[in-house]
Amino acid sequence: MPRATPVLGPAAVDVTLDVNGHARAIHIRPQRTLLDALREDLGLMGAKKVCDEGTCGACTVLVDGRPVYACMTLAVATAGRAVETVEGLAHDGGLHPVQEAFIAHDAFQCGFCTPGQIMSVVALLRARPDVTADDVKRAVTGNLCRCGAYPNIVAAALAAAKRKK
Amino acid sequence: MTKVVRTRVEFEGSVSEELALVQGEDAEPWAQGEELVIVGHPQRRVEGIAKVTGRARYTHDLRLPGMLHARMLRSPYPRARVRRVDPSKALALPGVRSVLHRFNAPKAAFRGEETIFREEVRFVGDEVAAVCADSEAIAEEALALISVDYEVLPHVVDLEEAIDEASPRIDEHGNVHDADRHERGDVRKAFKEADAVVEATYRTATQMHNSFETHGAVAVWDGDMLTVHESTQHIFGVRRGLQAALRIPYGRIRVVCDHMGGGFGSKGGVGKYSIVAALFARELGTPVRCVLDRHEENLAAGNRSATLQKVRIAAKGGRINAIAHDSWSNAGQGRWIADPTGPTKSLYDVPNVLTRSYRVLANTGSLAAFRAPGYVEGTFALECAIDELADRIGIDPLALRRLHAASDRDPISGLRYSLKRLVDCYDIGAQEIGWSRRRPKGLRASAPGLRRGLGMASQIWSGGGTPPAYATVHLNPDGTAVVRIGTQDIGTGTRTIVAQICAEALGIAMADVRVEIGDTDSPYAPISAGSLTVASIGPAIRLAAMDARDQLLDVAAGILEVSKAELRVEGGAVVSRGARTPIAKVFEELQNYTVIGKGARLPNSEELVLKTFGAHFAEVEVDPRTGEVVVDRVVAVHDVGRIVNPLTARSQVEGGVIQALGFALSEERVVDRPTGRVMTPGFESYKVPTVKDVPKIVVRFVDAPDTCANNTGTKGLGEPPIIPTAAAVANAVANALGIRVRTLPLTPQRVLDAVEAAPAAKGGEADRRGDRRS
Amino acid sequence: MKPFAYVRAGSVAEAARLLGKGSAALAGGTDLIGLMKGGLAAPARLVDLTGIDGLRGWTRERGAGLRIGALTPLVELEESEGLARHLPIVREALADAATLQLRVMGTLGGNLLQRNRCWYFRDQAVPCWLKGGTRCFAVDGENAHHAIVGTDGGCNRVSPSDLAPALIAHDARVSLASARAARTIPLAELFTDPALHRREEHTIRPGEIVTQVVIPDSALQRRGTYVKAMDRKAWSFALVSVAAAARVRDGKLRDTRIVLGGVAPVPWRVEAAEREVDGQPYSDAVAARAADVLLADAHPLKDNGYKIPLAKELVRRALARLAAA
Ligand SMILES: Cc1cc2nc3c(=O)[nH]c(=O)nc-3n(C[C@H](O)[C@H](O)[C@H](O)COP(=O)(O)OP(=O)(O)OC[C@H]3O[C@@H](n4cnc5c(N)ncnc54)[C@H](O)[C@@H]3O)c2cc1C
Ligand code: FES
Ligand code: FES
Repeated sequence: MPRATPVLGPAAVDVTLDVNGHARAIHIRPQRTLLDALREDLGLMGAKKVCDEGTCGACTVLVDGRPVYACMTLAVATAGRAVETVEGLAHDGGLHPVQEAFIAHDAFQCGFCTPGQIMSVVALLRARPDVTADDVKRAVTGNLCRCGAYPNIVAAALAAAKRKK
Repeated sequence: MTKVVRTRVEFEGSVSEELALVQGEDAEPWAQGEELVIVGHPQRRVEGIAKVTGRARYTHDLRLPGMLHARMLRSPYPRARVRRVDPSKALALPGVRSVLHRFNAPKAAFRGEETIFREEVRFVGDEVAAVCADSEAIAEEALALISVDYEVLPHVVDLEEAIDEASPRIDEHGNVHDADRHERGDVRKAFKEADAVVEATYRTATQMHNSFETHGAVAVWDGDMLTVHESTQHIFGVRRGLQAALRIPYGRIRVVCDHMGGGFGSKGGVGKYSIVAALFARELGTPVRCVLDRHEENLAAGNRSATLQKVRIAAKGGRINAIAHDSWSNAGQGRWIADPTGPTKSLYDVPNVLTRSYRVLANTGSLAAFRAPGYVEGTFALECAIDELADRIGIDPLALRRLHAASDRDPISGLRYSLKRLVDCYDIGAQEIGWSRRRPKGLRASAPGLRRGLGMASQIWSGGGTPPAYATVHLNPDGTAVVRIGTQDIGTGTRTIVAQICAEALGIAMADVRVEIGDTDSPYAPISAGSLTVASIGPAIRLAAMDARDQLLDVAAGILEVSKAELRVEGGAVVSRGARTPIAKVFEELQNYTVIGKGARLPNSEELVLKTFGAHFAEVEVDPRTGEVVVDRVVAVHDVGRIVNPLTARSQVEGGVIQALGFALSEERVVDRPTGRVMTPGFESYKVPTVKDVPKIVVRFVDAPDTCANNTGTKGLGEPPIIPTAAAVANAVANALGIRVRTLPLTPQRVLDAVEAAPAAKGGEADRRGDRRS
Repeated sequence: MKPFAYVRAGSVAEAARLLGKGSAALAGGTDLIGLMKGGLAAPARLVDLTGIDGLRGWTRERGAGLRIGALTPLVELEESEGLARHLPIVREALADAATLQLRVMGTLGGNLLQRNRCWYFRDQAVPCWLKGGTRCFAVDGENAHHAIVGTDGGCNRVSPSDLAPALIAHDARVSLASARAARTIPLAELFTDPALHRREEHTIRPGEIVTQVVIPDSALQRRGTYVKAMDRKAWSFALVSVAAAARVRDGKLRDTRIVLGGVAPVPWRVEAAEREVDGQPYSDAVAARAADVLLADAHPLKDNGYKIPLAKELVRRALARLAAA
């Protein structure tokens, strides 16, 4: 007899998320997106809600190291997987090299798309430190920037890659 | 001593006389070549760390204890009478606190109307009711439970249909309204005597701002004191709007905008969402948040009007002798228009000009200022028509422009410009793009079957800044300073520039300056729009810092027992004859002393006209078989006075070019005519540029301070870079293809349709003809 | 989104059992969650398939063809060097499909089963034919993105998937399993024949799960290529796309397949065009003939006539690329 899998909800259930290396217990209904769980339940406001329909990239976070749109991901479905947000990047007060490069290259204006852009670049450089401008563009195609900081985003990513080498 | 004077104020293309208070005396402008240590050097954004770590708090991110959430019920019809609203089912939903609609909401004046919930709703997305609930999700659910009885009325949404006499009249005064007229010279005669005339009709699509942070507000009452946190370009404008809507004293309203996710012109004043949040918060005694979602943003938060423009342009003796430009703008439900004929009136020195501009009402959301409103649309028509004329008379289009670009006087007022370096922009840009390679039939393409072309266009825009604007600078006894000014940083880098000017004028390091902006408890500053921020606030900040420095020197003279005249402040120290005393040391025995410097923006000269100029050059490759336009390179050259921060200035230009490329190539609001519904309310169907749509962008400045403009020599740079790009690209596409597509955006569909209609464009060099008349 | 229960299935059998009435299968969620947010789907239960072992990844066994698990994320298909050797068209088709984030989340099965992007369909308030209404609003409305063939007077949506035409050009078959039975059908038959005027896009039955896509050995002999035209340089559904595949030897194309995306309610195979090139020594003239018969029966609406020259051009390009390989 295979073990029956528990059906969760539709009422609220307890879920434990692994966010930036910390186990975080929350009580949510299954329709809670990962984005709402981060922002409303955990107070992590880095990932932004710009479209809430998988069309802009401002909510990009990493799940098991790969970039996803948190607004199209159910929080319950990420239980047991490693979620990383922009808040988890800086360590001991020091910025992540990608964050530093974004400042040095002025890779943002209003900054609303920036946490998402940074997560996409971080995932890229972790997987492949040796990147070209085309690789960077492919990695951030799914992150719109209405202010048009794109040239500087590409420059910042390349600079961060160079520093990592 | 304070005096009242009249001053000429130019805001987004329209000039008005206003009163201004003159306080104190102005400083000598920083001169050309003057050694500045912070201003004019690249500086990283002072809020950089907050933005890259996710710590920067935007209006969207505010969560206050007890905060409730409001959502709007919006009309599903383009025009209807709201006969009855029954919220009882919604109110019965657990978690719903209150519902407002036209039968129970207090009067709240908004943009000339008495109420925010009209009896006649006039576009899909018009506000019908609002729900306040414990969560956004509950509020959303409740919307569907409000039952509304609508009497559906005839509507019209399309610009050209609205102009058509046969369409429903949606306003008692008709759909088409006169907006502007300008005439100089004798246009009729000039056309009669012309050697060549080009007449063409141009169309531009409705562009939607799509600021990443949507419009929204959080309202909090403390007794009779209202604080509204709002994502806005003008905290003081929101304050005035709330005062008018809620009829509460100005002094009882505080508006705050810390970090802000873009506005591009659309966030110039109070919104219905802010009023609703304030009303609910007062009624329920707890903070209320009302934030639009993306689709609402694209229905009800403003747009750049679609236009229909007819241009006739005449040449005589190898020069432009006359231009007639008629323009119709789809204002939606807006009460004004952004006049597209502005550039035609003022960009070139042409003797005979007639422009007429019309506001057309339609059952769509109101326009809102959108980065160089009117000028982007109008420059496209004007600059394309000039190229068409140049082709017709067989002269290089840049050469033709040069004949009309050198005048140092504003052709409308006859007054002299404070500074005009348009011709320098041409020289720099032509050199950079390699304009001498341009041939009337395009350049050699990178592969067989492709077509390559060059195009250019110019821009004129105001950007001289205005009073009133005030700043204070507090110098602490440890040598650090706090500068306070009621401006806001909408992503343009204002915080950094405030710090730079303060640090430069005071003589301390930027890191020792804290910038407090975005709060109406600070001194007044104008809207962050119209490219007027830096030139408005910069001079006031400089004067405030100089005032603080002057007081510091008074103190230092007393303490160091040196005559004030021998002292200056440099690098955080008071310096005299080689001796350096850190500021903290000066104040060592005066521990709790605070120096308070203040400064005010003084009026502009009555005799001079302040403008920015620029030119963009584009190189494109077009595939006539797929309709694809690839922009290879854009060279953007601007004459905007002193560049305060070269790092962020370049970003500003790149951003403007990219937004303009969206306007030129892919952005288009589509509205279904029979239902009046916006078919493109999200980013999947409304195509803003992605990283892959961005060409190489070369940014150059004629970095010459405009010392007649104000004491910093600055002018604005927000809008100039969005103005000429679409025209330059369209001209390059026409140069490449040999046919002209006169409707934006230049989608594959439009290019292919044009190519199919003009088979010559598909064929070889031999059968290509440059100039088709429409 | 309406409240729903969530369950993570451990096996195909369990998933099939859980997929009762009112439930929906959840893979990457990139389409389904969007439909639910937009009020176009409101399942009472979501059965998450992503935890099922054995539906992820691909295998190649001689005699059994190439099998790709339905739950394989698109990004794995795109990044696999081995798959690119056997079936290069997949990487080409995914190169401009959606974005990295969507390809990380989205799966093969979900991509084939995604619903169309017609803006009237996607607007909850528009009672269009496909949603049970009486007419297609695109006919008299804004139809620049709509179908030019195969609409039969019914729904004018276009098939959005980039993978579907590419896989059909390699004779893909798709396996479906339910609590009671399993079946394998040609992938082309997963899409509802527009002539039947059924108000659905796929022929999958309630309670069925797509388990895998199989490319038969014979079709792996073909070389395939994919070209896509968009109205922006990235992150756009195809205005028109063309998948072409053939066995190429001695400058001749044989066993050719030409399948279009973005022109019809379903992936649109054009056998007449295939016949024009099959067995012929390849030349521009041959490609032009194929292009000419391509959309002979097209009925463009007011704004989508441009798709005809566009499709012809893309077919010429795809064939030229095949012949050059
Ligand atoms: C902005 C945007 C742009 C896009 N651009 C493109 C593009 O250019 N090209 C392109 O091809 N696609 C594009 N897509 C679509 C995207 O590729 C699909 O949404 C994705 O592939 C769907 O996969 P999924 O696993 O997320 O499916 P889900 O959303 O999980 O499922 C989709 C449907 O399939 C059903 N389903 C899924 N898997 C199974 C299964 N194994 N058995 C039974 N039923 C199943 C679900 O019940 C649901 O009905 C785009 C999507 C978005 C949001
Ligand atoms: S908010 Fe998630 S993609 Fe836009
Ligand atoms: S910096 Fe404003 S949206 Fe990217």
